[in-house]
Amino acid sequence: MSLDIVGPLLFGLLAVLIVGAGLGVVLADRITTSALLMAFTFLNMAGMFVLLGAETIAAFQILIYVGAITVLILYGVMFTPQAPRAYGLFFQKQTTPGALIAAVAALPVMVVAFAFRDAASGPPRGGDLLPLASSLFTDFAFPFEVASVLLLAAMIGAIVLVKRE
Amino acid sequence: MSALVPLGAFIALSAALFFIGMAGVLVRRNAIVILMCVELMLNATNLAFVAFSRRLGLLDERGSVFVVFVFVVAAAEVAVGLAIVLAAYRNRPTVDVDEVKEMRG
Repeated sequence: MSLDIVGPLLFGLLAVLIVGAGLGVVLADRITTSALLMAFTFLNMAGMFVLLGAETIAAFQILIYVGAITVLILYGVMFTPQAPRAYGLFFQKQTTPGALIAAVAALPVMVVAFAFRDAASGPPRGGDLLPLASSLFTDFAFPFEVASVLLLAAMIGAIVLVKRE
Repeated sequence: MSALVPLGAFIALSAALFFIGMAGVLVRRNAIVILMCVELMLNATNLAFVAFSRRLGLLDERGSVFVVFVFVVAAAEVAVGLAIVLAAYRNRPTVDVDEVKEMRG
């Protein structure tokens, strides 16, 4: 097997896993299952970033999404215990229009998406850490600082919201 | 490594995951599952950002910089979102968005 086939094979495998686990998040009965399938989706997405040659982004993805956000969501699940309920109460009343709107919106986007036929990545380069860091700390230094203020505001807001009087 | 995979495949996968998340936001009752689906949508946009950045950004990584900002916003969003869900749950023990009527205008 030549090395050229590895990329498309990996893409197919990761794509199937991402779409399957994403559907599982929406359709799973138990909320913990949804949360763990979400983590699995994010993990496969990190693999997709590696396939695209963005290793630093893949590392961030695992640290932030698979690590922090999944743990945060699981804490949220833990703090809001629910009585078991019938599967009929699983979806909202407006399920059919909601699913229809999503499907109708998806169709034209998919048609446009498949119009990009050229290869996804140019010639192989070194890692993406150096260009990423030099962009982030020169051209995007001010948005970077604003982002840290946003995180501080979110942290204070979350503490204030859940604080007991 | 991904030289043989067309850019459209990545964009289509990103769109598919985005609309799966959108369907989840629209059809699920559980507020925490809705937050998870929003995270799926944000992550799907990240894939599109990285794919276009790899293809078009030959000199720098500006698309990937936006991915970093999406990470920051996603973390802030899930923290504040869960705090709101917990505050509503303390007020009334449910995470069912059909039953939380107090927030209706």
